Amino acid sequence: MAVALPGATLPAVVEELLSEMAAAVQENARIPDEHLLSLKFIFGSSAVQALDLVDRQSVTLISSPSGRHVYQVLGSSGQTYTCLASCHYCSCPAFAFSVLRKSDSLLCKHLLAIYLSQVMGTCRQLKVSDKQLTDLLFVKKKQAAQKDSAAFNCVHLNTSQCGARANRIWHKQVL
Amino acid sequence: MLRMAEALRRVLNLGSSADSESEYTAEAGSPLLLLGGPGSGKTALLFAAALEAAGEGRGPVLFLTRRPLQSLPRGRGAALDPLRLQKIRFQYPPSTHELLQLLCSAHEARGPAPSLLLLDGLEEYLVEDLGPQEAAYLAALLLDTAAHFSHRIGAGQGCGLIVALQIQEEGDSGEALQLSLVQRYFPAQCWLHVDASGPGQRCLRACLDPGGQGPRAEWWLAFRPDGEMTVTPWPAQAGKPSSDKGSSSEGQP
Repeated sequence: MAVALPGATLPAVVEELLSEMAAAVQENARIPDEHLLSLKFIFGSSAVQALDLVDRQSVTLISSPSGRHVYQVLGSSGQTYTCLASCHYCSCPAFAFSVLRKSDSLLCKHLLAIYLSQVMGTCRQLKVSDKQLTDLLFVKKKQAAQKDSAAFNCVHLNTSQCGARANRIWHKQVL
Repeated sequence: MLRMAEALRRVLNLGSSADSESEYTAEAGSPLLLLGGPGSGKTALLFAAALEAAGEGRGPVLFLTRRPLQSLPRGRGAALDPLRLQKIRFQYPPSTHELLQLLCSAHEARGPAPSLLLLDGLEEYLVEDLGPQEAAYLAALLLDTAAHFSHRIGAGQGCGLIVALQIQEEGDSGEALQLSLVQRYFPAQCWLHVDASGPGQRCLRACLDPGGQGPRAEWWLAFRPDGEMTVTPWPAQAGKPSSDKGSSSEGQP
């Protein structure tokens, strides 16, 4: 699977960092500390939150027989957010506010978690029917209370705990 | 990534160079937003792009618009070939809800995937109390639908996407926010400016900004009273963006 979401535009520096991380993971099955630091430098606190989401395997790639696919990310609050696979869109409030309205963030933590889970190969896969995929994309207005998506209950597998590690390194270096 | 801009460039180049077809192979490309005021020829250009794509021996063209075209824009005889017209599939989603539903379920449709997806009059779908996030979702879904069609076509080719959006001279702040949200998803943009309207024909200027992926380019579009459109390259251009002669205050944001 391609690492970058096609059609999405990331600054060259982020693209470069992600491909370096992917290479490092392939080689050592581990993200080097300096990459975690760079990530935190670029994305701030979102980086740690995104790494936490990856640690919890919260990212699911959902595809249907048509070949269309979409991502769902189980947020820390238990809410599930839908992210498009072809361009930057997330249904979370932070994306609406910080990315779309204020333009002071590149991505929300859920989109960043998608990139990172691709890099680390920890993306869960789920096959649904074409009709089910339509229903996932076509979310009716004001349908906020959909917390009980049992299919996406997270499992704490503690693979590498990158989020916690990033936080530790950050504090060691800065404080 | 430049390919959609190339597709429109090919349409715009029709009037000038007949041998441009060999230069631009049948490919889709990055999505393009066509911007202009009322009566600036957006529909005519979209239709010309549809006919152009339908003539390349490729998949059908999907043309989305809220209401049927008032009249078929005129073209040269060959371009209005019924075989080409048959490959253009019009759909008229009557509301934003229906448009979203169409895009979300596009992967359920059987048959060959479109090689070009066109939407005329995006502004008619952006009104209707659409919040910023919903407006962004609509733009993003257009990209996602075209990306899915590209996936189905496969192998080097892809599905192009051109969306026409009417802009007012002095839009209110709500419209400005929606415009900036849509532009976020469409870095390549083509602006149409009404340049002069003599007796008998209307002239427009088309300025193509491929979103930092190539040089800007400009064309003259002239519509004769019978509706026939002629396109000529803007003379003073020729790859010299420093020449600001003739473009008074119509800078793009």
